[in-house]
Amino acid sequence: MALEYIPGKSIFHKLDPRTKMIFFLFILIILLAIEDTIIVALILLSIFGLYKLAGIPMKKLTSIVKPILPAFILFILLNYFVSPPREAKIYFYLVPGMAPVTLETTLIGITSALRFILFICITRFITLVTPIADILVAISKMGAPPEFAVALGIAFSSVPVLINQFQTVIEAQKSRGAKIEQKNPIKKFFALVPVIVPSIFLTVLRGMDISKAIESKAFTYNPAKRTYRKTISMKKIDYAFIVLIAIITIVISILRWNFNFFRYDSTLKYLIEIIKKYS
Amino acid sequence: MSSEEYEIILKNVTYKYPGSDKPALKNIDLKIRKGEIILITGPTGAGKTTLCSLINGLIPHFYGGSLEGDVIVHGINTRNSYIGYLSTIVGLLFQDPSSQLVTASVEDEIAFGLENLGLTIDEIDNRINWALDFIGLKEYKQQPPYALSGGQQQACALASILAMKPLIYVLDEPTSNLDPIGSLNVFKLLKKISLEERKTILIVEHKLEELIDLVDRVIVMNEGKIIMEGNPREILGGEAEFLNSIGLEAPQIALFAHEVKKLGINLQNIPLTIDEGYECFSKIFANIGEKVTIPQENHQLEKTEKELIIQIKDVWFQYPNGCMALKGVTTNFYKGEFVAIIGQNGSGKTTLAKNINGLLRPTKGEVIVFNMNTKMVPIHKIINYVGYVFQNPDHQLFSRRVYDEIAFGPKNIGLSKEEIDKRVIEVSKMLDINNLLEEKPYELSKGHRQRIAIASILSMMPEVLIIDEPTTGQDPRGRREVMNIFKKLHSLGKTIIVITHDMNIVAEYAQRCIVMNEGEILIDGTSREVFMREDILEKAHLKTPIITQLFKKLSIEYNIKPDVLTVEEAINFLKNILEVK
Repeated sequence: MALEYIPGKSIFHKLDPRTKMIFFLFILIILLAIEDTIIVALILLSIFGLYKLAGIPMKKLTSIVKPILPAFILFILLNYFVSPPREAKIYFYLVPGMAPVTLETTLIGITSALRFILFICITRFITLVTPIADILVAISKMGAPPEFAVALGIAFSSVPVLINQFQTVIEAQKSRGAKIEQKNPIKKFFALVPVIVPSIFLTVLRGMDISKAIESKAFTYNPAKRTYRKTISMKKIDYAFIVLIAIITIVISILRWNFNFFRYDSTLKYLIEIIKKYS
Repeated sequence: MSSEEYEIILKNVTYKYPGSDKPALKNIDLKIRKGEIILITGPTGAGKTTLCSLINGLIPHFYGGSLEGDVIVHGINTRNSYIGYLSTIVGLLFQDPSSQLVTASVEDEIAFGLENLGLTIDEIDNRINWALDFIGLKEYKQQPPYALSGGQQQACALASILAMKPLIYVLDEPTSNLDPIGSLNVFKLLKKISLEERKTILIVEHKLEELIDLVDRVIVMNEGKIIMEGNPREILGGEAEFLNSIGLEAPQIALFAHEVKKLGINLQNIPLTIDEGYECFSKIFANIGEKVTIPQENHQLEKTEKELIIQIKDVWFQYPNGCMALKGVTTNFYKGEFVAIIGQNGSGKTTLAKNINGLLRPTKGEVIVFNMNTKMVPIHKIINYVGYVFQNPDHQLFSRRVYDEIAFGPKNIGLSKEEIDKRVIEVSKMLDINNLLEEKPYELSKGHRQRIAIASILSMMPEVLIIDEPTTGQDPRGRREVMNIFKKLHSLGKTIIVITHDMNIVAEYAQRCIVMNEGEILIDGTSREVFMREDILEKAHLKTPIITQLFKKLSIEYNIKPDVLTVEEAINFLKNILEVK
């Protein structure tokens, strides 16, 4: 289920949600800076390490990674079509006359595919170690209106309710002989109409009910002075963590943009040289 | 009495919902004193829920529409205030518990209103613990509300209102999802609040029997008007027959007493509770004497002669989340039966029913339906034999025309156009909706939508019809109307399996009754047999109708029939022994 929280006592559970958001932003910059396939792969491995550190079961991790593996391969293949070869050494064409396969395009493809997996794994990592309520408080502390944070919170907690409702509708229509599992995409669309229409109707009704319910619980009484029972506070460890990740990010950025480190094949070439030296 | 003593004043209030010409409330005048407990009752469409929405300002501020007259709550004219402020004074509990739970855990749910009030965090935590203690949900503090049973959800919603400590409580059917024991606890709690804290409480309820000794005043509404007002004994006892005639469930003992009076037996007053009834009718039966012999009726179902159509053989069922919902269920269903499956939420009754039509397949064991093993046969074959009507018609209606809705099933099983047309017309006539075939389902009343949902299953001509909680959220008349549909279908030869937790329904309609508890069958027999086993029913948190309880109590001392299930039976029995005498 989306946005599930796994309780735990690791350092990542203890960090302030704002720290985790900043961490997320810095990681994005790092990912942008580093093109080196091998280093990106190493970062991915260390993210897997974070899962382990936070006490998230490996089963959970595989359930996140497995469904995106087809996308991983698709990324690599599509990349041959979109990124033109800059170095001449073309091994072969994927499609006659199109999509030349070179060392560079292959590496770029793998890197972007790895980045994609990394992005998903980090996002899921942060939501797995942060309760939604904390994220909402962080959002409202960062200046968003209380209505926004509350609305977001209600939306998140409605997800399982809506999933349940959707399943009931599917069962009800199956009991009327609806063949919902269709292979042909056009047929599938039409087969889903009997499921989608009642679902939308019920969701709209639920929305009305919810707005009545929250109004009746004094939500509009004085939103600006609303209490948030969840409190969040930045501690020493948060500042230390932010400083650390900021330094790493800055160093990597300087190395990348001023000294041309972390190119696609930097590590690979280095490794090849070492191998040549000793052979 | 000065006007300040009144907590709620309605002055000549008439209200129309936007887009409607017909007023939902007509010329309502009502004054409620501080500390009063008021019971509001009336059939569906009487305007009870509309009245509730008036008091915390949802009308007119949320709904709009045209409001005439004045509503003064705690000295404030609601028209000049806003819902946010009024809801600090008025706590409103809505009918459907699941639609008012908006957060991710039970404690957050209770905290929500308190956070809006801007209380300190310590105060909020104190009140959460207090409310959870009061309502008995402490161990569910961290659970998400959607994972609770209907009864627990209702308790949680009530706790979230209690914690806000409003001056006025407006409770719209606060016990509709609770078992009899749970309901009693809520009513006791309300009594305590009103006595100790002098809070004003308005309760909208159909359960009248349980509220007799709790409320100060009863208000009966019908078609947007207050048609009766007075003390509970006068109205629930004295006017029992009238209440019954407008489709309410009047106290059974009072109804019985009125009938007894008609037989020319003099009663000093109309009894309302079991104890009063026992005292009152003891005299009559003592006079009639003990020599009356009761003809022994044979209630055994002749199972052997009937055709066996569904076999459930040691069925276990586990949901993907690990919950074992059925633990070795074995039973048979025969052609032409009218069976009720009863039990609490989570007892496994719906899981069992879904295993019968192949929506679910047993984890262990076998279900054989018309010689098909549900594990081997796809569901669209089974639905030709077993139809399943879901609880909420809105889960399945999607067409723009009623005709298409009913034709959807037959189309799916590949029938010809002529055959579909024939069936739609036949089925819609059977359910009295043949004049609605060109209408839009969403614009029709709940009762009609339910009929369309039933028709859309019937049009596949299944031999067996499973109906899941067909009477939830309906008033007594609506319940009777929908159950009469199934009675009619039963008389036309269909086998009916109805899932319910309403014991009066079982008493009145079902021949056979299966009681489930925690995934097992506790008892399976004729309704009469089952109703005599109060020990087992108690285990499943069920209670027999009050008239049954009365006769059972009387039968200990007098030589009378103990297994009386309805008021009608009771009166026929009395007539019989009077004649014999």
